[in-house]
Amino acid sequence: MIKVQNLRKVFRVHKKPPGLSASLKSLFRRDWIEKVAVEGADFTVEEGEIVGLIGANGAGKTTLVKMLSGIIHPSAGEARVLGYNPWEKQDAFRRQISLIMGQKAQLWWDLPGADCFQLLREIYQIPQQQFDHQLNRLTQLLNVGEELNIQIRRLSLGERMKMELIAALLHSPRVVYLDEPTIGLDITTQKAVRDFLLSYRKEESPAMILTSHYMEDIERLCERIIIIREGELIYDGSLRKVIEQYAPYKRLTLHLQNQTLDESSKEIFSKMGEKVKIQSDQVSIQVPRTNVTEVAAELLRRFKIHDLSIDEPEISDTIEILMGGKDFRQE
Amino acid sequence: MFVNLAVQLVVLWALWTAVFAESGKELVGEWDLTGILSYGVMVFLTGRVVRGGDLQMAVASEIYDGSLSRYLLYPLHYGVAKYAQQLGNVFPNILQSIVMAACILPFMGSSSSVDLHVTGLLMCMPSLILAHLLFYIMGLLPQLVAFWADNVWSLSVLMRFITMLLGGATIPLSLFPEWSQGALAILPFRYLFEFPTLVILGKVSVNDWLTGLLTCAVWCVVMSLLVIPVWRRGNLRYTGVGI
Repeated sequence: MIKVQNLRKVFRVHKKPPGLSASLKSLFRRDWIEKVAVEGADFTVEEGEIVGLIGANGAGKTTLVKMLSGIIHPSAGEARVLGYNPWEKQDAFRRQISLIMGQKAQLWWDLPGADCFQLLREIYQIPQQQFDHQLNRLTQLLNVGEELNIQIRRLSLGERMKMELIAALLHSPRVVYLDEPTIGLDITTQKAVRDFLLSYRKEESPAMILTSHYMEDIERLCERIIIIREGELIYDGSLRKVIEQYAPYKRLTLHLQNQTLDESSKEIFSKMGEKVKIQSDQVSIQVPRTNVTEVAAELLRRFKIHDLSIDEPEISDTIEILMGGKDFRQE
Repeated sequence: MFVNLAVQLVVLWALWTAVFAESGKELVGEWDLTGILSYGVMVFLTGRVVRGGDLQMAVASEIYDGSLSRYLLYPLHYGVAKYAQQLGNVFPNILQSIVMAACILPFMGSSSSVDLHVTGLLMCMPSLILAHLLFYIMGLLPQLVAFWADNVWSLSVLMRFITMLLGGATIPLSLFPEWSQGALAILPFRYLFEFPTLVILGKVSVNDWLTGLLTCAVWCVVMSLLVIPVWRRGNLRYTGVGI
């Protein structure tokens, strides 16, 4: 449904030092810098798939989403969404997509939700029966039936976001872009939005691209993630595999039985793995994934152990390391 | 609104009474005192309709703050959507202009230079519709410069000032110097304010009215043809705010 090939976007940004003299100077001569927002993006998204687009602030996630929804033009490369070139902005294409921006209200603030939805019905030319059915279903799923007749500006942030979701999905889009849909929401509303998106995906099977800084959004909603760093796509694959591929270790945690650790014990731990942490009778060691069984057996043999656990590293830690700049591929 | 009109009337009366007294003539140009005062009132009222629902800086603001993005997502033409919005906003102005005209015109007195008649009123309607459309399209151009410039407010104000002056919103264009008449007749401005006002005052023959409507329609097409490439080029530069 979405096919992206070597997509690139470069912004030309005016650079002005502070102060009045610099302002005057910039009237006659301007310095420009080129900022690469997206560099050679290549990926596809299939029907019913929710792909998490992860990256630090300014990594290029929103720019990528804006290009795929047709709002901005790329500097180079190609994209096909539902067979259309997004930035040609054909009506047939725009009737089948939707973009929800958590940081930007898209509804008319002076109107109640019900009026906004009527306006959207006209814009998208949704048949009345289909509109009534869809509106009824979405308001029930999001539990906002009572707020439909209240001016948007008078709703809470969570209620507004729910209205934005309804507005974006009224026309049953086949491709949905979600740019930080849970930003600023409380935990309960975040969960409600996530549950809603999952049930919507189950019923309508749209292709979805989700950007979020909340790892829980990604873990709950996405099986596949794309990590973007300084405009470059550095990982595209399964959320689970990101750990196996980029964090080739597990963490062993031992609870020792009333045992004091001498220097020689500490030396044994250091030989068996990295990042040894000792806190009274608890020891944790980072062990290469391939040696875990062997190391665990050896520790059980050498020490009196009350409890032993083997854990995967946190996904968020692995992704944070990837986003932060460490390139595991070269190791 | 009424205060605005009252101030306008007082200023017009004081100015034109002085002009007529100083010249010692019954007619200035082709206007007597009552006629020129009627023009002042009618150009004020028709001007309110032509400018009615004016988006002013709305388009530029949407480009600056990124609100334009939502319109780019909808399956509709942005220019048409904005004009529909402007049309929706014009109705209070029409109603106000009718009420004000009904309150003032009976007290204007008779004039040898104007002929207020129902035919003029009927002929005025298509002139006003075209003028409203032309005013909207012309107002888009300076606002679309917002794709390139950080501030288009002064450009918009300058454009508005020129439009009002050369459109006859202050004085009839027939009082401008002789050498400028040819250019003023060709330019689009007079079709915004002076033309609909002269039609309503019964100063335009049917032939001139038809020619005026056609010219105004041609200007609408010409201005649209100018707006379209600017819009397309601007879209290439649009960033939707932020990276």
